[in-house]
Amino acid sequence: MTYPILKIANLQKHFGNHQVLKGIDLEVNRGEVLVIIGPSGSGKSTLLRCLNFLEEYDHGQVLFDGQLVGYRIAPDGRLLRDSARRVASIRERMGMVFQSFNLFPHMTVLENVIEGPVVVKKIKRADAERDARRLLERVGLGNKIDEYPSKLSGGQQQRAGIARALAMKPDVMLFDEPTSALDPELVGEVLEVMKALAADGMTMIVVTHEMGFARDVADRVVVMDDGTIIETAPPARIFSNPSQARTVEFLKRVLH
Amino acid sequence: MGYVWDFQTVWDYRQVFVRGAVITAELTFWSTIIGTVLGLMLGLMRRSTNAALRYPAAVYIEAFRATPILVQLVWIYYSMPILIGLQMGNIASCAVGLGLHAAAYIAEIFRAGVNSIDKGQWDAARAIGMRYPEMMRRIILPQAVRRMIPPFINEFATLIKLTTLGSVLAVNELLHEATNLINNTYRPLEIYTAVAIAFAIMIYPFIYASQRLEQHWRVRS
Repeated sequence: MTYPILKIANLQKHFGNHQVLKGIDLEVNRGEVLVIIGPSGSGKSTLLRCLNFLEEYDHGQVLFDGQLVGYRIAPDGRLLRDSARRVASIRERMGMVFQSFNLFPHMTVLENVIEGPVVVKKIKRADAERDARRLLERVGLGNKIDEYPSKLSGGQQQRAGIARALAMKPDVMLFDEPTSALDPELVGEVLEVMKALAADGMTMIVVTHEMGFARDVADRVVVMDDGTIIETAPPARIFSNPSQARTVEFLKRVLH
Repeated sequence: MGYVWDFQTVWDYRQVFVRGAVITAELTFWSTIIGTVLGLMLGLMRRSTNAALRYPAAVYIEAFRATPILVQLVWIYYSMPILIGLQMGNIASCAVGLGLHAAAYIAEIFRAGVNSIDKGQWDAARAIGMRYPEMMRRIILPQAVRRMIPPFINEFATLIKLTTLGSVLAVNELLHEATNLINNTYRPLEIYTAVAIAFAIMIYPFIYASQRLEQHWRVRS
């Protein structure tokens, strides 16, 4: 079954007079790992943040599992803001991992991970804790369960962030430059967790500057520049035989 | 010129000080309650995306911050019966006036505290499907309250001292009682000294507790 879990059509977004997304069309299939690369300021993160409506888009559509994200369509065809409840219920099904981790500093690692399941999904605390322990074991934090985030390294914080997102049992995981804030020696441990997740069949959309990860793990690579998608192809083709001059130029810069 | 201090007089009239301090404590208690509840509401309204909530809150806050509290107290005392037909006693009127005044400042403390929380915390809370009330209660306020405690204690200490303005409404708070006493005993220096010490005794424990709490939180995070 390869019907797309996410379908993005003519997505546009302005910040004031500046148009950051100039009509994005993209489909993401279940189980697919999609990696988005491109120069800074090309709109990669904004695109990702529009998918779970952390950023409001102003034109076009994001369809998640057939549902329009963030808006409903009025009888006359205009887009109306959707209810907070529906927006929240869609976000529940999309995990997100942030560049700056954004763990809740007043909670321990375990409390961070069970927060969503207990408060949003109303799962019993004991059950949520059992799941959380298993998840934290899986990301290699079994011995950090009761620590506060400030006591962890960046790599450990990001793995906790991944566990927190996974705890909601999402259909899709969104990664917004998950390793960009990390010291170089800590990048590997986070990428390992992400690779394992991909191998388990998780649908992933990853904005990153880690070209090695794109080459090894992505099913398709999307190259963005200046608010548009300039090329979409399997990594083998992007890295060996890109069709666009701007892709060549970008890769030359990031691959030295 | 050797001034002969005479604290015996103060001791002899200690009942007067206690009586005044009780009124001061009552005024502080009620005005803090009114100020905190109303202040939280105003602070939330001020942050609202709904202009019909935001503008009235802004007007209220700026009006109370831009006018003298002495004028506010007298104005409330005389206008309440006319405007809403509510005749309050001196003490109640003073407590309400102080509370309405404190609310403006507490609203700003609240707003500043909430605004100081990193945008990433809101993103993370939304991303796991939280809606506004749970996000506030579980993620934002627990962090913001820690930052609000020092300015809140500051405001509270100010409020205790502002109760001395109750004398313009003939409220028998600590300073008013002391002034009456001076007129009878002609011992202003000793009595004002005692008043100062009495206020310090009431206020300092809160400052100390606030410092300890900050320390506790710093150690934990």
